[in-house]
Amino acid sequence: MRGRPIGALNEARIRKKEENVNIVACVKQVPDTEAQIKVKADGSGIEEGGIKWVMNPYDEYGVEEALRLKEKKGGEVTVVSLGPARVIETIRTALAMGADKGIHIQDAAFDNADAYTTALALAAAIKPLNADIIFCGQRAIDGDQGQVGAILADMLDIPHVAVVTKLEYTDGAIKATRPIEGAQILIEAKLPCLITAQKGLNEPRYASLPGIMKAKKKPVDVKNAASLGVTPSVNMKVVKFTPPPARAAGKIIGGDDPALKAKELARLLREEAKVI
Amino acid sequence: MESGKFSVGNEGREVFWNAEHFEALLFVFAGLAVLIFAYGVYRRWRMWKAIGKPEIRWDNAGERIKRLILDGLFQVKTFRERYPGIMHGLIFFGFFILIFGAFFDATEFHIAEPLGIEFLRGNIYLLFSVLMEIFGLFVLLGIIMALWRRYITKPDYLGYKGKSDNIPEDAIVLVLIGLIIITGFILEALRIGVTKPSWEVWSFGGWILAGAFAGVDHEQLKAWHKITWWGHAFLSMGFIAYIPYSRLLHMITTPANQFFSSLKPTGELQPIQDFENAETFGVGKLGDMTWKQIFDVDACTKCGRCQDGCPAYLSGKPLSPKKFIQDIKTYWVQKSSEVVAANKTAAGAGGTAEQKTAEEDKTLPGEVIDLHEIWACTNCMYCMEHCPALIEHVPKIVGMRQYKVLTEADFPPELQLTFRNMENNSNPWGIGSHLRGDWAKELGIKTLAEDPNVEYLYFVGCAGSFDDRGKKVATAFAKILQAAGVSFGILGTEESCCGDSAMRGGNEYLYQTLAQANIETMNGYNVKKIIATCPHGYNILKKEYRSFGGNYEVYHHTEIIADLIAKGKISLKKPVDKLFTYHDSCFLGRYNGIYDQPRNILNAVPGLKLAEMERNREKSFCCGAGGARMWMEEDIGDRINNMRTDQAIATGATGVALACPFCLTMLSDGIKDRKKDEQMEALDVAEIVWEAMGLEEKKAPAAAAEAPAA
Ligand code: SF4
Ligand code: SF4
Repeated sequence: MRGRPIGALNEARIRKKEENVNIVACVKQVPDTEAQIKVKADGSGIEEGGIKWVMNPYDEYGVEEALRLKEKKGGEVTVVSLGPARVIETIRTALAMGADKGIHIQDAAFDNADAYTTALALAAAIKPLNADIIFCGQRAIDGDQGQVGAILADMLDIPHVAVVTKLEYTDGAIKATRPIEGAQILIEAKLPCLITAQKGLNEPRYASLPGIMKAKKKPVDVKNAASLGVTPSVNMKVVKFTPPPARAAGKIIGGDDPALKAKELARLLREEAKVI
Repeated sequence: MESGKFSVGNEGREVFWNAEHFEALLFVFAGLAVLIFAYGVYRRWRMWKAIGKPEIRWDNAGERIKRLILDGLFQVKTFRERYPGIMHGLIFFGFFILIFGAFFDATEFHIAEPLGIEFLRGNIYLLFSVLMEIFGLFVLLGIIMALWRRYITKPDYLGYKGKSDNIPEDAIVLVLIGLIIITGFILEALRIGVTKPSWEVWSFGGWILAGAFAGVDHEQLKAWHKITWWGHAFLSMGFIAYIPYSRLLHMITTPANQFFSSLKPTGELQPIQDFENAETFGVGKLGDMTWKQIFDVDACTKCGRCQDGCPAYLSGKPLSPKKFIQDIKTYWVQKSSEVVAANKTAAGAGGTAEQKTAEEDKTLPGEVIDLHEIWACTNCMYCMEHCPALIEHVPKIVGMRQYKVLTEADFPPELQLTFRNMENNSNPWGIGSHLRGDWAKELGIKTLAEDPNVEYLYFVGCAGSFDDRGKKVATAFAKILQAAGVSFGILGTEESCCGDSAMRGGNEYLYQTLAQANIETMNGYNVKKIIATCPHGYNILKKEYRSFGGNYEVYHHTEIIADLIAKGKISLKKPVDKLFTYHDSCFLGRYNGIYDQPRNILNAVPGLKLAEMERNREKSFCCGAGGARMWMEEDIGDRINNMRTDQAIATGATGVALACPFCLTMLSDGIKDRKKDEQMEALDVAEIVWEAMGLEEKKAPAAAAEAPAA
């Protein structure tokens, strides 16, 4: 039963530091991990009906880190998201957590956008903000590509520190910890830079009710391809979705003699399942 | 003899005997005592008025007066605990009669006699004498019992974790009352010692005591009498004056609180109305409570009954409902005095002192009450059920949770996960909501979407839909209904979480979202009657959904099964030869008074024997899962479910019968933890009944043996 320090979220009490950091957090709306995914009959995508949409969990770490940075140093957090109308919900979630304003890139031209096009749109929206630091999730749990952050950093021509589990901010620079196989590496980077967040970076907060109510009134700028000056180009196309094969039924080994049953089990594991 | 106008046949006594010129002086002092008393009450009155939101607690006066008579005048709740009940009863009734007697005496002397009506004579006088003696001795006995309990046996409930609550005032009050009675008897003895009327043998106490003064010079006795007379008078007047300045104030606040107590069904909470515009939610500051919620704390007598059955306290958590109330009281006394003073200055200067004090307010959860306390409560309702002052602890605790969750979003992280699961998948486990109806698929149960023309909606709830153990209970119950030919359907994936854990966990916003979704669906199907297998769903659907337009006849499955058995719709023919003990779920028992139906069902099972645990029915000990505790870590003190399991084991039973999926999980875990899973099993009443119906052919015996392992 631990709790964060009282009032950590109370925006009114946050002391504004002179060093105002301009922070951007990119979020993607994805189906809830428990949602039932049905592939459309023609394999072109998934059935969207009945799906509960949530913020990509890795992006949530990014938003939380953005808010903590703001609370420590002062500044402003802008959330940026690309997607259809329903995406506004996810933007509002980030605003309820404490982000200040949102940019919703919504244009049918971006439907089925690949990572490159997505980054292109995000870059166009983010560039005018002159961000000091940009947070993305290390990947999205739906497409699982893990590309947008890296491409976006490249397009903005800023350093990219990937899969971060710990972040320290010192004026004008950051120190980030990134786990690698059996070890950690400590990376320093100058601002502006882009961080992709990994699980462990923080525990995202639960939005307070006044936060939820205020979020309804926070500004969200809606942009389309034209207003961003971007021409969507499709370089990569998903050809077909196929559901994973249904799990085969379990097998019960019958018989009365435990020794025989054990033998049969060993045989099956070796010959049929090929695991031993 | 100085018996004057009295004689055998015309018995009586001279009022103001040996105190002929004291009358006027006595009135002066009495007037003074009453003034001091009145000033004290006035001061307190201002404090009661100082802080608190408005709330109407004087509607339905008839019902309120009934409560006042039962719990105030007849001390019904006070008598629930034997020793303290008798102790308080002796003092209360004794004092009540003595004061009444004194009034009677005074009325006769000051009003009736001057009018020529002398009714306190003869047999009436003798009866009066005997009664006064008896009740005087009662008070004395009560005082001795109280002193004995408080200073010799020192039960834990008169303290907090081994530290006594006693303050000098507790002793002063007892000694004061004791001395009033003792001086009264001495006074009487001295008078009898001098006047010796034969009939005063009826005043047996004074008569016997008078024997001690035999042979003492009468003038000496009269001198002593005068001194004692004033002693008695001063003590009595001191008592009156002391009332508003001491714990004696409960003579006013406790009955007042009983009168103002909630008339709503047990546990019903006031829904938050305005989410859109409020800046803060729940109880953060004192001023966020209503005047009645605050008044409660001034009615608390520190009797400790609430603490004595509080699962949180008894398992070593920092929460004690008594301490909780007393801590708020300490802060309220300080704060309200400040506000009263500030109001006075403000009234003088025309300024806004109130605002100034408001800014310095402490936040109750966190600064006055430790956060571990508010999160330790299982909402088991033991405290409210047994508080003789009818204090309402649970709404305050939930109010503080609301503040922490809604306003500050600062609460146990486990609960954050639970809330998200409820938001995203409409169940606390976070299992995909599309799987909700799957348990029923093979049973041929129709959803209301498939067939809305059924008598009952079976509201399965999250446990029955998602929890492996809960699904078995739901299955057993559905089969019983099918066997009995009851017409019912389920909502399937259209059902939402009932929201109990959200509401009691302080997330009123989430709760209302879920409740509204359910109500919309159910009203859409024109649902009238509902059965729930989960007491949490049962309770919330029955009581709380009304606030949002959900009016249903709600039954718990034990009510339905008991009825089916009584009406002979199902027959239990297969013996279950086993000793069971039944654990009362809080939300079924204390919240809804369902104690008999589950027991009747179990008694109807052939071969089954029932043993009661020491704490049962109204005094049942919580399993530890209520109040959203199901979803939180329990890292302080003992595990409540293990304590309850030990109580079940102590009965020698090899089965624990339950009627709540949360209790089922808690007790099953407890049995495993106590390494008793070989000898003992926890089963829902529905499972026992289905087994006893003997309709499950092939794997019936195996099913029962397998059950607790799931
Ligand atoms: S409701 Fe139960 S757990 Fe909560 S304070 Fe009262 S007795 Fe203790
Ligand atoms: S709250 Fe009620 S039960 Fe608890 S100590 Fe006070 S008066 Fe007694």
